[in-house]
Amino acid sequence: MSVYVKSYRRHGRARRWLSLALQYLCVALILAVMLFPFFWLLASSLKSPEDLEALPPVWWPAHPAFSSYRTVFEVTPFARAILNSLIVTVCSTTGILLTSIMAGYVFAKHQFRGKNTLFVGVLATMMVPQFVMLIPLYRMMVALHLDNTYPGLILPNLANGFGIFLMRQFIAGIPDELLEAARLDGASEWTLLWRVVVPLLRPAAAALVLFAFVFQWNNFLWPLSMVYSPEMSTVVLSLNGLRTYTSSVTFTNIVMAGTAIGILPSVLLTLWAQRYFIEGISLTGIKG
Amino acid sequence: MIQRQRSLIRSRSLTTLGFLSPGLGLLIVFVAVPILLTAWISLHQGSMAIPYSRMRWVGFSNYATIFEQPIFRTALLNVFLYSLANLVIILPLSILLGLFLYQAQVYGRNVLRTVLFLPYMIPTVAVAIVWGYLYEPQYGPLNEILSWLHLPAQGWLGSVHEAMLSLVILNVWQTLGYYVVMVVAGLTEIPQEYYEAAALDGAGWWRRHWSITLPLLRRTLAFVFVILTINTLQVFDPVYVLTQGSPVNSTDVAAYEMYITAFNYGQAGLASAMAMVMLAIVLVLSLLQLRLFRSL
Repeated sequence: MSVYVKSYRRHGRARRWLSLALQYLCVALILAVMLFPFFWLLASSLKSPEDLEALPPVWWPAHPAFSSYRTVFEVTPFARAILNSLIVTVCSTTGILLTSIMAGYVFAKHQFRGKNTLFVGVLATMMVPQFVMLIPLYRMMVALHLDNTYPGLILPNLANGFGIFLMRQFIAGIPDELLEAARLDGASEWTLLWRVVVPLLRPAAAALVLFAFVFQWNNFLWPLSMVYSPEMSTVVLSLNGLRTYTSSVTFTNIVMAGTAIGILPSVLLTLWAQRYFIEGISLTGIKG
Repeated sequence: MIQRQRSLIRSRSLTTLGFLSPGLGLLIVFVAVPILLTAWISLHQGSMAIPYSRMRWVGFSNYATIFEQPIFRTALLNVFLYSLANLVIILPLSILLGLFLYQAQVYGRNVLRTVLFLPYMIPTVAVAIVWGYLYEPQYGPLNEILSWLHLPAQGWLGSVHEAMLSLVILNVWQTLGYYVVMVVAGLTEIPQEYYEAAALDGAGWWRRHWSITLPLLRRTLAFVFVILTINTLQVFDPVYVLTQGSPVNSTDVAAYEMYITAFNYGQAGLASAMAMVMLAIVLVLSLLQLRLFRSL
């Protein structure tokens, strides 16, 4: 890539410096715009009530106070919300991983009648907005007395079209000869899947686990409809509650501290494993 | 030998079924059946709590009612404007930033990509909360920055004219990086020889990208277009958290209107009709767009 950029630009030294300076200016500008909300989040969470009320606004508190990170656990059952979010997210993610690997394998490597129609149906579920299913799902959970429970939060999120699609795309790239060799050795389809396919699938499975984890952790509409008591609240739901009930500007630090804690898992996972996210997006060109 | 193969094929079709049934079963129970039930409820009158058997058939009168109410028409118009504004801003920006990320010869390109992508992965509710404070007219930093530039303070989310735009900016900030990553993935597929040949022929920057990048990026852009449309048409979280449709319904969107019709007013029939209208719009628009891009 660098070859072609350099090959046709007849540039003097000054021009190259100018272009480089412009590029770094762009980088700085983009970084500033993208990072500013994170900076404001952190700064506000460390401000005292006096800082928060000051006009013009204080940019960085003279005496950063971490007390709001403790207060947020006192004014709301935030620890319980974290536990709830973890339980729901881990269960959903595990379910999505298992169902997606099995269905994706069949769509990639088995032949049967109606396969293409079925697969198009799976893809179509990705286009359906979440709120289209909301009313019947809600009524279903109420009828089963599962509203405001873990199963109620988890059950509708154990499989999705995106996961099946992603796994199919990766498994399709595994050579058939490899599978045939294992079949000749007498391996059952079950052993084949877990002993031959899954070990080759690690990067794809990592991408799926990360996506599923982050999107379940971030889910708002379903917990909002399902949960009615504070002890079943998820982190995201608690954040909305915190903001609603602490409208005074002097409580901003508590809301922001909660928000900082609430985004931490997503931020850490993204930074730690961004390679897999990017690969996942690049391979499918789509996300569910 | 033949018999053994037959039994192998039979056992394989059994595993086919066995492997498919958990995933497909869940999708049928929690996606397909609910869609059909929503369609069914939309043709009936009933509250959220009333059993299906006691709902009263009303034909298409729910659909007539929601289109007679100005509020749903407003919500539809608002969500179209929201979607359109996002498209107009994100599409060119994602191409420009994608090209920049792909070509710029600067240190820290990976850092830049991560930072751009990061907001997409954090909860929209959290993003909405933070931006709510950024937009705060008195204590927020945005109006303070405007005042440094000697520009007048804005009402942002509190202003009828600016609330929707404020939500659009929030969404651009949050999701742009995701589309940039898609564009970069598309760019890596374009063979470098094309650019080298064009450069030899004396084509300038605009010409090269107009004649090579854009046409060859068509498939990626089609995806960006469709996903962007689907995602923006179902916007709910920032509206619920920040504005609840206010001021004066200027940020009322279809998903929010549907939600409060169901859960605040308890009118399952009307809300289901709204959901079906949105489903039809999303499906028709995405299929039209896919066809359009295929024919280009």
